[in-house]
Amino acid sequence: MFWKAGAQEESRRLAHFDRDRLLVQRAQRDPAAFDALYRRYLAQVYSYAYYELGDHHEAEDATERTFLLALSGLPRFEERATPEDGEGASTFRVWLFRIARNVVANQRRARRRHPTAPLEAASTTADPLDLEARTTERAAAADAWAAVDRLPGDRRRALLFRFVDEMSTAEIAGVLGRSEGAVRVLIHRALRSVARDLRSADER
Amino acid sequence: MTLPIGDRLEAEALLTDHYLDALLAANDRHAQDAPSDPRLDADLRRAAAWLRSSLTRVHPSFRFEERLAARLAEVAAGLRLAPAAGGEGGSVPFPGLAFDPSQEPGPGFDDEKGRDAGPSRELLIGGALTSAALSIAGAAFVAWRRSRGQGSPMARAVRAARESRALGRLPEVDARRALD
Repeated sequence: MFWKAGAQEESRRLAHFDRDRLLVQRAQRDPAAFDALYRRYLAQVYSYAYYELGDHHEAEDATERTFLLALSGLPRFEERATPEDGEGASTFRVWLFRIARNVVANQRRARRRHPTAPLEAASTTADPLDLEARTTERAAAADAWAAVDRLPGDRRRALLFRFVDEMSTAEIAGVLGRSEGAVRVLIHRALRSVARDLRSADER
Repeated sequence: MTLPIGDRLEAEALLTDHYLDALLAANDRHAQDAPSDPRLDADLRRAAAWLRSSLTRVHPSFRFEERLAARLAEVAAGLRLAPAAGGEGGSVPFPGLAFDPSQEPGPGFDDEKGRDAGPSRELLIGGALTSAALSIAGAAFVAWRRSRGQGSPMARAVRAARESRALGRLPEVDARRALD
């Protein structure tokens, strides 16, 4: 079962490479074509910034900076990934999230404090009028965010990339500049910390 | 046989990684049941399932999306025009530029430490703008020279020296030095 899931993940990742390659080439020829890449990755970049910063306005600011930097740096970007390159190959998404990671890290440093208020409504619900469901989801998202926010730098980032942006281990390794083995250990340890938090919350 | 601690951790991490692959793939298929692997600790499985359901992707507001799209289109138009204007236009960072996006922070990078960085913005200066700035600076310099007037002691001394050279005689002080 695991091998099958791994193969699916791999084929999804390679399809992802191909889709990006055409759009990147078009955007490098004509910067106006960057809009397609922007629309594709907006929610992913914004979500990452939102969970990292815990504030809607700061997430918007980080998202804006990320895409502006990506647009101005696009002529220097080289898409080197081919299916033969296999895991750890460079992709536009990896490059974009490296920028996002730097922008968010700078914002966190500049702020040097964590927000006192819990995360705002973080999830979308099927029925916006279902207030009870909304409240429950908000509470769950705020609890999850609090648990993730307690983690040290790269463990937190790795977990967010894995769960929120659904990145493969290879992609996360590319963004964080670490080996895949190191990323697997980061995620494993992060998950153990969250599990400990959950257990102690149960005991209270 | 027992594995060394490092190897055991890596083996557990690999197991967790495979489990997460399966969990995320199940979610993509909208599967009702989460995958179960008895080899993985139950607490870890529970934490993974909890994070999977709680850490959902967040969408920004439509207003923000369109505003940023317009801003990017504006910048993209500027990027297309810059080479057409002669190609001499460069990218000049605002003071306090945070970083170069191509720069790697390195594996030891930690956002809790390090320097403060201000906001980063870039300003494009084309050839036309540069030449206009030079013209203004030139005009200002000429106006400043004229405004200094003719009556300053230095100006008088220079004029006297020039006139005396034109008449073929040295100023008094220099003549005396020459005789010494």
